[in-house]
Amino acid sequence: MNSLNKRLSAEKRFQAYGLFAVALSMFFVLILMWKIFSTGSGAFVRTTIEANVFFNPDFIQVNQNSLEKELYRASYVALADDVVRQNHPNLNEEQFIKVREMYTRKFDYQLRDYLLDNPDKIGQSIIMKITASSDLDQIVKGNYPRDVPEAQRKINDYQLSVLDKLTSEGKVSSVFNFWFFTKGDSRDPETAGIWGAVMGSLYALIICFSFAFPIGLLASVYLEEFVKPGKVTDIIEVNINNLAAVPSIVFGLLGLGMLIGVIGLPYQVPLVGGLVLGFMTLPTIIIASRASLRSVPPSIREGALAVGATKMQTVFHHVIPLSLPGTLTGTIIGMAQALGETAPLLMIGMVAFVMEIPGGPLDPATGLPSQIYLWSESAERGFLEKTSAGIMLLLLFLIIMNTAAVLIRRRLEVKW
Amino acid sequence: MVEQVNSFAIKTKNVSVHYGNKMAIDDVTINFTKNDVTSLIGPSGCGKSTFLRCLNRMNDVIDSCKVQGEFLLNGVTDIYGDSIQVETLREKIGMVFQKPNPFPKSIFENVAYGPKIHGLASTQSELNDIVMESLNRAGLYEEVKDRMDDIATGLSGGQQQRLCIARAIAIRPEIILMDEPCSALDPIATARIEELINELKENYTIIIVTHSMSQASRISQRTAFFHLGKLIEHGDTSKIFTKPDKEQTNDYITGRFG
Ligand SMILES: Nc1ncnc2c1ncn2[C@@H]1O[C@H](COP(=O)(O)OP(=O)(O)OP(=O)(O)O)[C@@H](O)[C@H]1O
Ligand SMILES: [Mg+2]
Repeated sequence: MNSLNKRLSAEKRFQAYGLFAVALSMFFVLILMWKIFSTGSGAFVRTTIEANVFFNPDFIQVNQNSLEKELYRASYVALADDVVRQNHPNLNEEQFIKVREMYTRKFDYQLRDYLLDNPDKIGQSIIMKITASSDLDQIVKGNYPRDVPEAQRKINDYQLSVLDKLTSEGKVSSVFNFWFFTKGDSRDPETAGIWGAVMGSLYALIICFSFAFPIGLLASVYLEEFVKPGKVTDIIEVNINNLAAVPSIVFGLLGLGMLIGVIGLPYQVPLVGGLVLGFMTLPTIIIASRASLRSVPPSIREGALAVGATKMQTVFHHVIPLSLPGTLTGTIIGMAQALGETAPLLMIGMVAFVMEIPGGPLDPATGLPSQIYLWSESAERGFLEKTSAGIMLLLLFLIIMNTAAVLIRRRLEVKW
Repeated sequence: MVEQVNSFAIKTKNVSVHYGNKMAIDDVTINFTKNDVTSLIGPSGCGKSTFLRCLNRMNDVIDSCKVQGEFLLNGVTDIYGDSIQVETLREKIGMVFQKPNPFPKSIFENVAYGPKIHGLASTQSELNDIVMESLNRAGLYEEVKDRMDDIATGLSGGQQQRLCIARAIAIRPEIILMDEPCSALDPIATARIEELINELKENYTIIIVTHSMSQASRISQRTAFFHLGKLIEHGDTSKIFTKPDKEQTNDYITGRFG
């Protein structure tokens, strides 16, 4: 009896340890999440200043009859300056420069984009919410303290007084920052978006899948179903398992040396990124696929062979369809891993400043993780929240992919 | 007993089978008469399954398995020779396994698969006819006619086994090999299958492995007793079960060993 009590209390102790371990890891995950969310949520809103905009044709050298192309090419810098002057009358030159700094540098593009959509507004006045500069944005969001000496602030006393005046007039407001989801990278945090990096990653993943999935599937089918086990397959097996454990930067080096160096593919493009991620994912796919091929009961193969199916028919009609859920799950998990991988992208140059949103796998691009890395390197406070928001987006994609993997497994798995 | 050469579905001579160095079948010579049910009986591990699987070359997939001896289909075609491809052979010699192994596809697909790959039906309605007829002969049609598109693995064990029989007869084989087809079934399902075997023997030659003496005596015309890889005795079922020539056979059927 005594020994039974001992065993029972040992079990209780063991459960307590387990509970403690789970609680501890949940605690750390929560801290991480809280940190990321509290820092990153700011990236989803941006501060704007309401202004009266008169599309004075004199400043843009266009008129009502101008073609869209001409509207696009025109310079809106002078108009932007004029808008500032009109909304803040009686500024001297020094004050003007300070006030101009409160608006985003890119606000000429905002004017252009508006006019492209509404060409009939030339020569007319409208009320427009103009994006504030990142520094002003940070002050409004409270990320920069106001009560420190002027020399330690990015926004000086004069700008603060203008800001307070605008605020009291109800002209300062926060809007949802669509730009974060629709724009490419920028030197200015207020106009920097993640979409270029998302597209870069997407193209890379498409390449990765179209390269690694068929090859991985065929390799595993051949190894598992057709080849006689022996020395050669043992060596291949060991090598595949080894490759799965090779650090990703080595695959990056392979891409740099082989794809870019020898074959001569361009630097910094999703095609090369995708192929490198494909090399990296291939062993994972092969291992997952072989495991799921092995889990197809031999009786199914016998059943097909016994009605006179060839080996090939048996494999393609029965074995592969039954193993596909496992293979797809492995593939998606491998690709989720690839999506978060930074080192190989670093090696093949997908970690540079790219403003344009890539239109295909041969356009220069960054990937999600390398974009996050780039932003995290920036000194400006505005990029800090972009970094966290980027991480949130990356985590979201990972969750989606892993959920898809689980769902596919559930949905397609055959019950015996 | 005088038997004509062409009345044998399968003739075998001096068959030996090894798994690696281990002998599983030792110099067996046995002929199977057409349109008869032949039972293979014997203690576990004596090589009944091994021998059965030699007949439609299912042992080919086992790398360590080496088959020697002569196998003639209908007295002329060398089963292991170049004149017949293994797929064609299995079209002529169907097989039903111990554990029901329907494909995890629809009931219809299960039966239609064989005819499809052998091109036995040129139109969909021909295929439908074959499937219906096979299910009918397997005594399953009435039970599944309203759910042909349901997944086959959802059927009961006995229904699955009858589906496997339907699958085997859908390609119109001459011979059906059955390896303990009732061992996973309850007595009612077993009775149904036995009934079915009785009907099938009009058109097919059936070779069946069974552990049940009563089943062997109920369904088969001929019985072969194997022991330790050797064929001990082969003859009419009535004779084997009433006055066998060999004492070993007598001991086995009366339950004194095995
Ligand atoms: N794949 C295999 N590899 C190696 N040895 C095998 C293999 N299959 C069967 N054997 C051996 O061959 C011998 C005969 O086996 P077999 O399965 O033919 O017996 P059986 O008469 O069908 O037995 P049971 O009534 O239990 O099904 C056994 O000793 C078995 O261990
Ligand atoms: Mg057996």
